[in-house]
Amino acid sequence: MACMNEDGQWIVLMGLLVAVGLFFLALIINQSALVGQTTAEGVLEFPKNDIRDLREAIFDYVDKYGNTGDPAANNVRDDIIAISLDRKNAVVDFTVKEPVDISGQRAYPVEIHYNNGVTVYDETVYHY
Amino acid sequence: MVNDSGQLYTMEGIAAGLVMLLTAYLILSTTSIYTPGDTHIPDMQLEQLGSDVLAMMDTPDSDGGENHLVDLINRSDRDGFNSTFLEYCNARTNGKPDTIHMSANVAYRDGDRIEEHQLVKPDETWTGRESAVRVTRWVQLDQQSTRGDPYGSRAQAVLVEVLLWRA
Repeated sequence: MACMNEDGQWIVLMGLLVAVGLFFLALIINQSALVGQTTAEGVLEFPKNDIRDLREAIFDYVDKYGNTGDPAANNVRDDIIAISLDRKNAVVDFTVKEPVDISGQRAYPVEIHYNNGVTVYDETVYHY
Repeated sequence: MVNDSGQLYTMEGIAAGLVMLLTAYLILSTTSIYTPGDTHIPDMQLEQLGSDVLAMMDTPDSDGGENHLVDLINRSDRDGFNSTFLEYCNARTNGKPDTIHMSANVAYRDGDRIEEHQLVKPDETWTGRESAVRVTRWVQLDQQSTRGDPYGSRAQAVLVEVLLWRA
């Protein structure tokens, strides 16, 4: 090694730094594919129309029966829960609580739970 | 004996080569951003169209007015449901109407069983390139003693399921 020319060490070092930098950039591009895929899958599998429709059905129920819990109301509630499970593969539950006063309006706190195995959706909404 | 000067250069060369190989491998193993949604996008459009049509049918003409969808279900009006749905679905701003076909079922609960009542039978058409999609809508029926079979007279929630496809 005695006669080795050691000029230009800085140039060599900078070369190494650039190589390491390129390596990390490549790593970021590599990961972006995964990000694109999981996002697209998430959007596709989110049952937007199902949840909107279920909310509307529950609000119709609240409009009609409030939190009375009489047999007619329970029948409709059972309909929604049983048909959701049978036809939409979704475990659904909802409870309507005592109305509360919000800005002078009587609003029913409604808890909605929805789970179709992929998407879990829980909501507490004040409906009047 | 071989000349063994310049060993450090050799080692550097090997290290640089490894870094370059690894980078090239990473880049080559990265395909373009993969979107599995491609094939489902027409399905989603058809699904949205069907959902919107059901929403239109489920909306009364005026506040407190009669809800068309509830009325059709109450009367089990096959022809009315068929023609209204297809009219909304196939409407275009100009030119010939679209070629969407459909069949419809109503799921209702009878005791512990979930039954299906066929509201509109499928016609004898084939689907084209696009697969058929299913859209649903909840409908709440009031207590009505004159309502005939199969739902019975109690107040209930039923699920309207429409299968639609573009022929």
